[in-house]
Amino acid sequence: MQSSNNPVQAGSSSGGFTKPAIFTVTAILAGLVIEGLTSGSGITVPGWPANFYFLLVFSVAIAFVGLRFREKALVSWLGGIPVGLSLIIGLALLSLVGGVVPQDPAGPDSLASRLRLNGMFSSWPFAFVTLLFLFNLGLSFIWKAVPFRVANLQFMLFHGGFWIALSCGLLGSSDLQRLVIPLYEGQESSIAYEMPSEKPVHVPYSIYLKEFVINEYVPQLALYDPEGDKVIADKSRMLPEAKKGAKAEWPGIATVTVLDYLPSAAPDAKGNPVPALNRKGVSVVKVRVVEDGKSYDEWITDGGPDVKPRFIPVGKYFLVMKAGPPKAFRSDVMIKGIDGERRTELLEVNKPVDFRGWKLYQMGYDEKAGRWSTMSLVEAVHDPWLPAVYCGFFMIMAGNLLYFWKGVKKMEAA
Amino acid sequence: MTLNEFPLIALAAISCWGVGSILQIPAAKSKLFQGISWLFLLLGSAVLVLFLTSYWIVLERPPLRTLGETRLWYATLIPLVGFLVEYRWKIKWLKYYCIGLASFFLIINYAYPDVFEKALMPALQSPWFIPHVVVYLVAYVLLAASAVSGWHNVLLNFRSKRSTVSESMSHYLALLGFVLLTFGLVFGALWAKEAWGHYWTWDPKETWAFISWLAYLGYLHLVARKTDPRSLQWYLGLSFIVLLVCWFGVNYLPSAQNSVHTYSG
Repeated sequence: MQSSNNPVQAGSSSGGFTKPAIFTVTAILAGLVIEGLTSGSGITVPGWPANFYFLLVFSVAIAFVGLRFREKALVSWLGGIPVGLSLIIGLALLSLVGGVVPQDPAGPDSLASRLRLNGMFSSWPFAFVTLLFLFNLGLSFIWKAVPFRVANLQFMLFHGGFWIALSCGLLGSSDLQRLVIPLYEGQESSIAYEMPSEKPVHVPYSIYLKEFVINEYVPQLALYDPEGDKVIADKSRMLPEAKKGAKAEWPGIATVTVLDYLPSAAPDAKGNPVPALNRKGVSVVKVRVVEDGKSYDEWITDGGPDVKPRFIPVGKYFLVMKAGPPKAFRSDVMIKGIDGERRTELLEVNKPVDFRGWKLYQMGYDEKAGRWSTMSLVEAVHDPWLPAVYCGFFMIMAGNLLYFWKGVKKMEAA
Repeated sequence: MTLNEFPLIALAAISCWGVGSILQIPAAKSKLFQGISWLFLLLGSAVLVLFLTSYWIVLERPPLRTLGETRLWYATLIPLVGFLVEYRWKIKWLKYYCIGLASFFLIINYAYPDVFEKALMPALQSPWFIPHVVVYLVAYVLLAASAVSGWHNVLLNFRSKRSTVSESMSHYLALLGFVLLTFGLVFGALWAKEAWGHYWTWDPKETWAFISWLAYLGYLHLVARKTDPRSLQWYLGLSFIVLLVCWFGVNYLPSAQNSVHTYSG
């Protein structure tokens, strides 16, 4: 993103787009050749501290080349807009391949696998183009940064932020740990698993699951057609909620009114549902069905561990209860550090908990058991490069705000 | 209001826009007709704003989850961009394209009605949900208007009736669209970190969002290179195709099988 208040100094008059396009295509082809020769083995980013040293040397090299050889035609060309633009297009094209071809393991003999089109974002072509793009972006940044001028601040924030976010995000990926910790109610665990290899890893803390709870949306009533294996929409074209007093009408078939809704119930000695406080209770709806002028009251449920599902035959259809989808699920846990520190936390989706450099996420549960699940899946993430990437993000946003401000002012002046 | 009332609402909005557009003919010579015409044009949008507000209340969640719901927002917002452009640049033709596009979205929603569904999966229950989606929606609306104006300018150039004002308008629409696209992308990354554990996973939707962003980044660099604005009208017109893939086309790609975004717009 070039601010036109700041005329391009270096690189702006460095030729057309033919050579930059050849340059980018060569980088992509070189990457594809390496992939072809290595049967699509891809590139492995080195871990800490090698990735940090690489970034350091790379940054210093850009600064040195940019400042020392600023007037050289080649350097000016490498940091110019035509090269930058052709690399942007190169990145877009490679991303396009990665956005169309499934990024999953494929047969070793498939073309996608041999050229690593199914692992595009860790492939040599992507690495080459990204590295050259970072070089171009870095040069353009350093030319605007030295000597410093306030007028160049927007350019520096946007380009510098993008450089930091991209370089630290990609180089830091090798230090990123994403582990899954299965927890069972009443048990403690410090064993996590790398996915998808399921290799066990000991984490430097343990988590004790006191309780796992799921809140569901209110169940819905549905008229099921077994012949067509489909649900018949009611007059309002919705699946009516099973709230007390709710009314649903299927013209020509039946009218149903919800007399009562028990979110947690169990059958009494006579088989009638009564409110239950224990966790094995099931959702029960008592309805009044009016069918062909006849009216009768019945109750239905989608069942649970100790209660069978119950439905009402209505003509050739069945009135059934459809459990509401999960509204929230959370784990009440005690986290213990290796030094004995204990913390009680509630893990919930969108509300991760920080514990000594790790972020713990409520990830999932036993979906077969549904609301009766006593197992909770927690994801533990350790990403030491996150602050640097976030610094890049916030610089991009600050640059973006300034760009917006300048754009509005220019628009007003136009 | 629920989806039951939608056909009537869509008909009312399209009729108001239609009447308002026809009245633009006598409005050229009469201030009275001009007032009445604008009353109808704005009424068409007001009907949709009212429906969206009411639908939001009944749904008990923001109507921003499904493709149909996002189309409803586009249909509401795109004509407003056309009206604002006329107010700002005195360019009258853009609003007709915008109204046409909005009517098209309403007809699609009529032909393929959504199922009324209140549920919002836990990952979407986030303070980031509304800013991320709304910023993207407005960005798409601005970029759609810029693409439409780009194509219009291409036609003008074919007929040797080049308009630099119109080219300037498509540029500023793209510029504002890009700014919002950038915010949308970063907001999405920040939200993903809180909800899914990582800010970027090269999920197909993320990848296509990145491609769209790069496409408009390329446009701004071509502008900085002082590329002939007539060629850039083609670029703007074609770039929107990438956005359309990102908006809904990605759901039909082989890569989308395991996407966490396929449920959404």
